[in-house]
Amino acid sequence: MPGFLKEFFSRNGIGMGAAILGLVLFWTIGLIILPQLSMLDFSFRPNLPPPEIGGPKDVYTLENYKYLIYGPEGGSQSYNAVDLRVFFRTLLAAVCVTIFNLILCYPIAYYLGQSKGNHIRIFAIMLIIPYWINEILRAFALRIIFGETGVLNTLFVGLGIWDTPFDFIRNDIALYAGLGYAYILLMIFPMYNVIESLDKNQIEAARDLGAPWWRIHWRVVIPYAKPGISSGCTMVFMLSAGALAAPQILGGPSSLWFTQLIYQQFNDNNDWPQGAAYAIVLLVTCILFVLAMMRLFKVNMGDIGK
Amino acid sequence: MNNSFLRVSIWVYLVIFFLYLLGPLVIMSVTAFNSSAFPRMTPWECLTFQWFGELFQDQRILNGIKNSLIIGAGTVILSVAMGLAGALMLTQIWPKLRATYYTIIIAPILIPGVVLGISTLVFWDRINRMLGLGADSFLSNGIFLTVIGQSTFIASYCMLVLVARLQRYDVALTEAALDLGATHAQAFRKILLPFMRPAIASAAVLAFLASFENYNTTTFTFGEYPTLTIELAQKVRYGITPAISALAFIIVALTVFFALLNEAKLKRQELVAAARKSATVEELAGKIKLPSFFAGNMAAVLLVVFAVATITVVGTATAYNPGQCIANVKEQKRVEAEQRIQELRKQREEQRKKREAEEVEQGGAQQSTPKPSNNSGFGNVFAPNTLGGDAEEESSDTETPPSNNGGFGGVFDPNSLQTDQ
Repeated sequence: MPGFLKEFFSRNGIGMGAAILGLVLFWTIGLIILPQLSMLDFSFRPNLPPPEIGGPKDVYTLENYKYLIYGPEGGSQSYNAVDLRVFFRTLLAAVCVTIFNLILCYPIAYYLGQSKGNHIRIFAIMLIIPYWINEILRAFALRIIFGETGVLNTLFVGLGIWDTPFDFIRNDIALYAGLGYAYILLMIFPMYNVIESLDKNQIEAARDLGAPWWRIHWRVVIPYAKPGISSGCTMVFMLSAGALAAPQILGGPSSLWFTQLIYQQFNDNNDWPQGAAYAIVLLVTCILFVLAMMRLFKVNMGDIGK
Repeated sequence: MNNSFLRVSIWVYLVIFFLYLLGPLVIMSVTAFNSSAFPRMTPWECLTFQWFGELFQDQRILNGIKNSLIIGAGTVILSVAMGLAGALMLTQIWPKLRATYYTIIIAPILIPGVVLGISTLVFWDRINRMLGLGADSFLSNGIFLTVIGQSTFIASYCMLVLVARLQRYDVALTEAALDLGATHAQAFRKILLPFMRPAIASAAVLAFLASFENYNTTTFTFGEYPTLTIELAQKVRYGITPAISALAFIIVALTVFFALLNEAKLKRQELVAAARKSATVEELAGKIKLPSFFAGNMAAVLLVVFAVATITVVGTATAYNPGQCIANVKEQKRVEAEQRIQELRKQREEQRKKREAEEVEQGGAQQSTPKPSNNSGFGNVFAPNTLGGDAEEESSDTETPPSNNGGFGGVFDPNSLQTDQ
């Protein structure tokens, strides 16, 4: 038995130590690592009916990944334009949602982090309440607002600003508003946590030295809050790229989200390996993108999640 | 001047921000009381409570709530246990492994829920096959898969909450207990667990809420046991009714209630602590005069107001009958529809007259031209205009049904079909 394990058991006792170790191993290996590896393995296999799994036809193949790039074999197009367009559109939209959320939430996080008083607590409660409400219901609320006979259209048509109802859903405005809405809290909290610990004297010193307010933010607050900003952005980006409920409810009929394609592969086409391959592509691309952004903005991995 | 401008603009910004955040919830809650079959604020028809009744008669919703509660309980137990074990491990793991270990247990938060759902499904399906179990075995059961899938990432949330408290734990306490002859299990149960209790409670609440509202993972794993969220998503995707608003209203009200309750409790503790601090020794020895429950406690006052309002609303709901108002609105709609039909008829009549007059003119003009084809005995029957005119009439006919106030009583309204689902 290695020294580390011996020490662990002598510290926690055999029974307790075994329980802790068992649970941790079950979680990390049984629930996190093995399923991901299993999905990776699955994505390289052909779609076979259950009796043939493990049979001679069950060999590794790149076919599922080729399908995403080149489309069905013998198809009329040389690239799978539909799926690829959905994929890049999803990534781009997730980036836009992240930037929108960052701009929207930074002033709030700064305000909450730097002011003291009872009203801050009320604001915090008001921030949290929407997040105790079901994700689906939040999307539903936005659909009531953005629908063809929804509140906004009734309002604007009633005021005479537009003469015909504007189709927010077909134009994806509802979708972006919904995604932004869904992840506000995840953007605010990491930023708030960091900004709260910023010494007020630093800001005052900058002000005394004659810096205008925007320069104080640019040179003092934002560099200090960088870990918070980057963890907020990472979370919002990953979650909005992987969102499924909001695009299903608020997305227009002609525009799809990449997760919806995965969902279709699983539930409508019954092609699990294909769906797994798409999921792998989404996961890997998102991780690489986040890592690249962190390299670009010089953020350490260790700062995230603090 | 610049400063006050900044201050004003930040308040304006705050107002807009919270409107964006809370406005949708308020609007959704209000639509639960409108008698219109489509959830909307305007036009306001009648105050009604019928959607709540409809909600409680919906078997699928009730079944979904049942499944959600079962799955929630399972997820809370599993993920708090794993989160606690993970947190304990994090505090004593070999330093070289620490960073890797931390990355692994934090990763599920960032992995898209869709991916977690798929990997859980694929992995347990494979295990199931390897063990040679059938399709209806325990391992492919929807409840089991959902609990497992959700716990994968909810345990990470729990771990974060628990580790924050665990860092303040003095290991010397456990050591003292062990020195005094306690077994490890006893030390854990009597020393560590009581210390961790508040954090465990908040982790459990967090886990339950996260499980209750999870959609992305559950949608791949639920099998035969759709949770409330899944049922809601099905309903919302294929047509929206105010019954969902009613459910949303209940959830919003419960949330606000518990948030206020929690806040009132915290504030109360704070006030009591403050009173103790400022008390003299004499007072401490005797009785401390504690501040009354409501003094300086906004949340408590709000809580009571909230409770009274709820009782009033429920009271009115049992006594109130919107039948007359709904009948009125129906009658009004019928009258409006009739008027519209009349108008349409009139318009069509006028158009026809106009067209006839034009045709006569045209016909006259055409007759004067030397072209022979138009002088056939069929008159103007084959002239393109007449056919076009008919088509136009038809199209104006078909235009009427889609409007909600049409003479067809909304039968062709797509929403009326959807509400039946």
